[in-house]
Amino acid sequence: MSAYKRISITIALFFIGVNFAHAQVTISDGRHVMEISGGISTYYNQRFLKPTSDNRNKDRFRLRDAQIQIEGRIGNLYEYELQVDFVDLASFATGEIDPENPGLMDAYIRYKGLKFVDVQVGYGKLYYSRSSLTPFTRTPYWQRAQIVRGNMFSRRDVGITLMKNVWRQRINMYAGVYTGLGEITLRGDNDASGGLEYVGRVDVAYPTRFRYRDIDDRVTPIPMFSVGFNGRYAEKNLPDGRSFPAFSTGEFGLKVINGERYAYGLDAAFMYMGFSGSFEIHQMRMIPQNANDPLFQGFLPEQTNGYILAGGNVSQLNYFSKKLKSIISVRYEELDLSDLIPGKSQRLSAALAYQIRGFDSMIKFQYFQILAEETIDPIRWTEQFRIGWQLNFK
Amino acid sequence: MRLLFIIVIGLSTYTLSAQKPPKLKPFGYIHIDVPEPSDIIANPFKPNHFFVVSDDGFLFEMNRDGKITRKADFTGIDCEGVYANDTAIFVVEEYTRKIRVFDYASLSLQQTAIFPYSGGRNKGYESITYNEVRQRFLMITEKDPIYLVELDKDLNRVNEVYLEGIARDISAATWYDNHVWLLSDEDMEVIKLNPNNYQEIMRWRIPIINPEGICFYDNRMFILSDDMERLYEFPIPQ
Repeated sequence: MSAYKRISITIALFFIGVNFAHAQVTISDGRHVMEISGGISTYYNQRFLKPTSDNRNKDRFRLRDAQIQIEGRIGNLYEYELQVDFVDLASFATGEIDPENPGLMDAYIRYKGLKFVDVQVGYGKLYYSRSSLTPFTRTPYWQRAQIVRGNMFSRRDVGITLMKNVWRQRINMYAGVYTGLGEITLRGDNDASGGLEYVGRVDVAYPTRFRYRDIDDRVTPIPMFSVGFNGRYAEKNLPDGRSFPAFSTGEFGLKVINGERYAYGLDAAFMYMGFSGSFEIHQMRMIPQNANDPLFQGFLPEQTNGYILAGGNVSQLNYFSKKLKSIISVRYEELDLSDLIPGKSQRLSAALAYQIRGFDSMIKFQYFQILAEETIDPIRWTEQFRIGWQLNFK
Repeated sequence: MRLLFIIVIGLSTYTLSAQKPPKLKPFGYIHIDVPEPSDIIANPFKPNHFFVVSDDGFLFEMNRDGKITRKADFTGIDCEGVYANDTAIFVVEEYTRKIRVFDYASLSLQQTAIFPYSGGRNKGYESITYNEVRQRFLMITEKDPIYLVELDKDLNRVNEVYLEGIARDISAATWYDNHVWLLSDEDMEVIKLNPNNYQEIMRWRIPIINPEGICFYDNRMFILSDDMERLYEFPIPQ
């Protein structure tokens, strides 16, 4: 069957059941309110390979999400959330956890009784990177930008977060301490260094509060802006002969390192009359404790000054048409896995989404193109697209 | 790609024929001292004063300069709608699905009525007003779906109307000039309804971020913005 026919069938299937009645369910005893919601998303993926590759295993239908979410509130003091993705729980048994889409997504309790600051304990998203904090279901894309997918820095962890907002929620501040192994922390133990990770973020919005959203679906009549700064630090010096837990260092070996690791980022966003845009940049400074660390790529200490830099940026522009119930978006991203190796990878993506029922029932199409790649991270495809349907029971 | 192109062109042709409602421009606005305000109603006994409720669970009395003049001792949970008549003040809590009835003079809690609803916790009863033509209290759910619930004078549930497709959400409701008036936050629109059958008569666009409350007073329409914590004054829509 040709790719064109496969796509046509997929689209036809998506339109079946678009009037599917969906709603979350709330249970309450008058003080304790618990809400059960969830979502399913699925897409068809087609990749266009380089002539040197013949592996077409990614030309596939994929069930991306099959989630159940329980959120609750007890009086004015406690809030909690438990969110699970059954698709990724199944792959959890293999030992690898997809940081963009882990099986356990949230399991935390938030205490609001201290008044001057809220306290969150448990497992959940780290307050680092605006793009990472934006819910996946509120974007027209099928994949986050490379730098915020969880391979450069973790997106979730277990720990404690203090949070405070002032100036009518225009300024939000977060500070927390975590195990530092990211999503792999769910296995239970820290690494042999016992080191923790410290994460902080401040964002400022004007003229009103600015939620972690990409799309101006309310067609804001007054221009809105937000700027955020975040940083994180971990020192994990492994004892001789010890190693990090499997998969904890991530796809590029940068997520957790044997030594000190600083990361800092800046993000900015705007919305106005259906247009919205964002820019985000991150840099990581890594100081391995061993001169023969693979991160040095074989360079001598005199050549590296004892540290490696990595980082990247992502820019995105979007337009939401209320009349067309559609979103159109374009994204450009750069990634530099090591300043010791010349070159950066560059990607361009475009997305189109049609809202059958807002973000809760939406058909999404994403096109990717590789503009440049790094020699230390060769990619076997040049272009790909994904088209599918996301349905939230909300 | 050709199929996608055809879909986009088809949608464009279909939807571009839709007409935009007329836009209203505010006379001006004031900043108000009530944090996270979610609805407003004119005080029927005290000129130039309003009752305002907040997401934090408080009931305030506020003057026309936006200054708080009184505050109820009671702390509720997520108060989203307020209505006042010559006997009491009625506040609806979205999370707990309760109507709290307050005494006018002391702002003390007099009665609580529960209206179980299993929709989303943030999509529960968001507004309350009174339909003088049908002699019924009205409560309206915010979204997904939007239900208008009629209650008799003793707060007994007597009827339910599904307002299908009326807006993406309804954030407030009020009574004026023998009509029901609805406010949509996400659509930024004011909608005038026939009080007998709840059919739409007309709608207007308002350029306000996060409009959460609506009331009429002194020949003006007042719109409350939650995010901006402002009270806007508009001409009466004609």
